[in-house]
Amino acid sequence: MRDGVVFKGSKDGLQLVIDMATDFDVIINQLKSKLEAAGEFFANGNAVVQVPSAKDMLPEQQQKLVALFDEYGLVWQDVKECDFDSLADDVNQNSEEESNTLIISKTLRNGQEVVHSNSVVIIGDVNPGAKVIAGGDVTINGTCRGVAHAGAFGDETATITASRLLASQIRIAGLISRSPDKLDIPEYAETARIRDGVVVIEPAR
Amino acid sequence: MGEVIVITSGKGGVGKTTTTANIGTGFALLGKKVVLVDADIGLRNLDVVMGLENRIVYDLVDVTDGNCRLKQALIRDKRYETLYLLPAAQTRDKNAVNPDQMKQLCQELAQDFDYVIIDCPAGIEQGFRNAIAGADRAIIVTTPEVSAVRDADRIIGLLESEGKHNPKLIVNRIRPLMVKKGDMMDIDDIIEILAVDLLGIIPEDEYIVISTNRGEPAVASPVSLASTAYKNIVGRLMGENIPLMTLETNDGFFERLKRVFRF
Repeated sequence: MRDGVVFKGSKDGLQLVIDMATDFDVIINQLKSKLEAAGEFFANGNAVVQVPSAKDMLPEQQQKLVALFDEYGLVWQDVKECDFDSLADDVNQNSEEESNTLIISKTLRNGQEVVHSNSVVIIGDVNPGAKVIAGGDVTINGTCRGVAHAGAFGDETATITASRLLASQIRIAGLISRSPDKLDIPEYAETARIRDGVVVIEPAR
Repeated sequence: MGEVIVITSGKGGVGKTTTTANIGTGFALLGKKVVLVDADIGLRNLDVVMGLENRIVYDLVDVTDGNCRLKQALIRDKRYETLYLLPAAQTRDKNAVNPDQMKQLCQELAQDFDYVIIDCPAGIEQGFRNAIAGADRAIIVTTPEVSAVRDADRIIGLLESEGKHNPKLIVNRIRPLMVKKGDMMDIDDIIEILAVDLLGIIPEDEYIVISTNRGEPAVASPVSLASTAYKNIVGRLMGENIPLMTLETNDGFFERLKRVFRF
């Protein structure tokens, strides 16, 4: 069951994507529980809110939302149009963008991609054809056979660690290294990092 | 209400249509009421494999367009009373139908049949989305080739994002001798990557080619190895606990002789 409400961080502040096809009371409840779970995170009015895909929103519904935001210290900004489906698909994978580390507890399959501004921890495998792109470190509690990119915004101290590091490509900051054409299967966890301008792989500590 | 099962793979040519025909016929052999739905609009094959091509009057698109009633488009199999086929249109393409129409069609069929088995087209576009729309569960067919396994992995991911979890896997066209020599991926390699439940393995069998060309699904044959494998799969789908086939490598005369004396 997908959420009727998706939180997204943008440079304008917190963006709320609401699926108006969902029952409005359900949306309010989901919103409440999400804000509740976030605790003080959104307080002090430092987050502004946009509610796209809201052309069907009734004035009294909007009032309800504004009241709810007040309760949690959010400032209502604007209602903006957008296509919920495309945004939600794009966001669902990194809906925890506000927290520092994104934890994903499933196997990433061929064609799936995770992009996150901070570190990413994956509890599961990264299969061939899947991609993990992180601003910080990438940690994979499983086998990595796909592409992992750590320090995607230029952090050269970022590392990639996997229980079995068989990545087809390892990228750290601006460096790319591919797997050898003949790959030995490691028996221990390994970490890739940049040392003296090249990507090296060593046993994880 | 019957169960709607989609047979899919991503890659083409791995045996979706053959598997659909054989599983469907397998259910019919056990007296179940089954309908096979060919979702491969524009490239229909299932009717040929079933040997029912010359009986097609109306097709799936005629039903969704309202040109005929559902019952009129269903073709009863020539061998089994309880087996039906809903053929695909050949003169249209995948965009002639949308997922909502397919969902409705599957619901309607599930009221009359014990099993609705959908033959999914290759690819991940509209045809795939149509085929999986109304399915309760999915069966992924792959062959022991890296490319087919990659595509299967992609498909499992796409099914998950559509809320269809825990698909079952069939590994088709296994050649035991090649696996033994290390020239072919073995089942464990495939399962390690895909991490889904194995429903069955089908050995490579020349009889499949013969039966496909004749339009008689192999499962009805008492002699072929693939037939036994498909029967086992049908049994497992019905909840029976049947162990996987041990694929005896069909080696030389002396090896066989040795085995005879050893046991």
